[in-house]
Amino acid sequence: MLLALIRKELLVLSRDVHGLAALFLLPAVFIVVMSLALQDYYDPPLRSLSYAIDNRDGGAPAGQLARDWAAAHGTPQPLPADWNGQLHRGTLKYVVVLDAQLSDELRALGLPTQARVHLLAEPGIDGNLLNALRAELLGLAGELKARHAMLEAGALPPPANASVAALVDAARVAAPGVRPTAVQQNVPAWLVFGMFFIVASLSNLYIQERANGTLARLRSLGVRPHTLLLSKALPYLAVNLLQVLLMLGVGIWLMPWLGGDALSLAGVDWLALFCALGAISAAAVGLSLALAGLVRTPGQAATLGPALNVLMAALGGIMVPTFVMPAFMQRVASLSPMNWGLEALLSVLLRGGGLAQVMPQVIRLLLLAVAAGACSAWLFRRRG
Amino acid sequence: MLRIEALSHRYPGAPIDALQDVSLSAARGSVLGLLGPNGAGKTTLISLLAGTLVPQRGRLLIDGVPLAQVRAGAPTRIAVAPQDHAFYGALGVEENLDCFAAAARLKGPRRRARIRDCMDFAQLARFASSRADRLSGGLKRRLNLAIALLAEPELLILDEPTAGVDPQSRAFILEAIARLARAGTAVVYTSHYMEEIEAIADRALILDRGQVLCQGSLSELLAHGRDVLCLAAPGLAQEDLLPFGSVQAPIAGGLWTVQLAPDHTPAAVLAALESRGLGVTQATYGRYSLEHLFMTLTRRPLRDEA
Repeated sequence: MLLALIRKELLVLSRDVHGLAALFLLPAVFIVVMSLALQDYYDPPLRSLSYAIDNRDGGAPAGQLARDWAAAHGTPQPLPADWNGQLHRGTLKYVVVLDAQLSDELRALGLPTQARVHLLAEPGIDGNLLNALRAELLGLAGELKARHAMLEAGALPPPANASVAALVDAARVAAPGVRPTAVQQNVPAWLVFGMFFIVASLSNLYIQERANGTLARLRSLGVRPHTLLLSKALPYLAVNLLQVLLMLGVGIWLMPWLGGDALSLAGVDWLALFCALGAISAAAVGLSLALAGLVRTPGQAATLGPALNVLMAALGGIMVPTFVMPAFMQRVASLSPMNWGLEALLSVLLRGGGLAQVMPQVIRLLLLAVAAGACSAWLFRRRG
Repeated sequence: MLRIEALSHRYPGAPIDALQDVSLSAARGSVLGLLGPNGAGKTTLISLLAGTLVPQRGRLLIDGVPLAQVRAGAPTRIAVAPQDHAFYGALGVEENLDCFAAAARLKGPRRRARIRDCMDFAQLARFASSRADRLSGGLKRRLNLAIALLAEPELLILDEPTAGVDPQSRAFILEAIARLARAGTAVVYTSHYMEEIEAIADRALILDRGQVLCQGSLSELLAHGRDVLCLAAPGLAQEDLLPFGSVQAPIAGGLWTVQLAPDHTPAAVLAALESRGLGVTQATYGRYSLEHLFMTLTRRPLRDEA
């Protein structure tokens, strides 16, 4: 009997074109679009921005700074007469203005007390990008000032490869094989979103059955509540599994074919990944059944299901990474089950974490699944 | 087969009982017509029979055994065809039957045979692979009925099985139900179409506001109209009829009811009215219609006027 009911559930779902699109196509499209759009997120395009230099200082040190900058960032555009207007419009991304006293300042022994280099950017430039450009300018100016100071002090010329920049190294710490890329970030995010989207699909089909008397009919035939609930839960666990395979496939094969980075599973802890995915799926199914028990009409299910999904996604860091949120919103985000799932998957896929790292989120998700499942069983007995 | 004794039910928070001391019985091989307007308590009674509601007071017995006990042991002895199309629109006719046959624990060759038999019975074989939500209203009703018949129930409860169907499908469904009763099934048939009940029921029960107003065999119920003259005439007024007996004003359709006094005959009444220039356009004597009986009992029509 259970098999027949599962078969029925899968047949009904397979003939719901819109439901299938929401479950499989929507998250796949999001992965592709967002990964391509955020392709440079982990490697900002510092060297491909259009810029100009306004050198108002005829001295050698200022000229050297301009040459060093051009060597790192490509040839600057000739300074247009209306460069201010072009910055406003965004056609020019930034202008570096070198003041007339810059060379004197670079040669002087002592620290500057006022700005001699001005980095003027278009209004829409990303804050991190602006800071990165500023830091780079600072480094170059500091390097020139240090070299002049050494010359003044009569020190030996430094080796050709020596530089202040060599003093600091920066790297992301990840497990071997795991590369932080937009794909590595977006596949887990939209996979979690897609897996939770069964909330809309399952609850909608369930409420239709209740509204047209089909559930009552099945119960009058002696089908037990737990059999009915299982016949709903098991097919959607399978749907979640198919979503996982599809989204991973999109990340591994489709994204590089489209010119993006490939999802890397090298060095991934498979047990941790399996546990995280299983817990997300259990929570999504539990939540779906609970929602189906709570709402009273198909209209309510059709509205509440997607709304709950989008809200959980917006709060949970699916649409906007939590690390760019202010502290208060980060605390709110940590209440979203999608955030638990996302953090668990990012631990495995982006940070190379293992079972111990995902266990806090897995436990939360499983507790949610048990609570929601118990709630749905109680509601089912009460309302049918 | 089915016996209900002093059954009452009140929904949580409701000020009055949805069912109040309802008693009835239905025998094998017969059709019990359950009549009542919207809100009469029919759906509550059906929900209690279907097991989706638990009786609060009174007893529901199948062959002397409490219904809950029968449901626990052999739930498919009783089948309900609800008023809604209680099947899966996205599945085909045969797929629906297969799903519900499996739910009724039918297996192997018997399952296949029952699906085939029910499709034949409801004349759905031609539509076996058609999606249920693309069937006509009449075919959907037939599918609803066919699903109820899968497990060969001993008691079949039909809730408005002809609602919203064309006359041809209605005739087919009524004939099919009569065949089931002849084959030994006990049928409880709810409707607010009096003519359907008159056509197929052996016994009828009129329910209103949760109470049984009357019940019995159709001939018993309709015999309540002995010495009652029902008539309609343009311009007819109560004072025209008062000399012939006690008068009940029309409830719907302009039909006056006169309980004739012993010294008056229908012919004399008609002649007297004709002599006063009141041309009688319709008259019945000695037998109520169910509709008229209902209106007499409740002082209102069975169906809400549009």
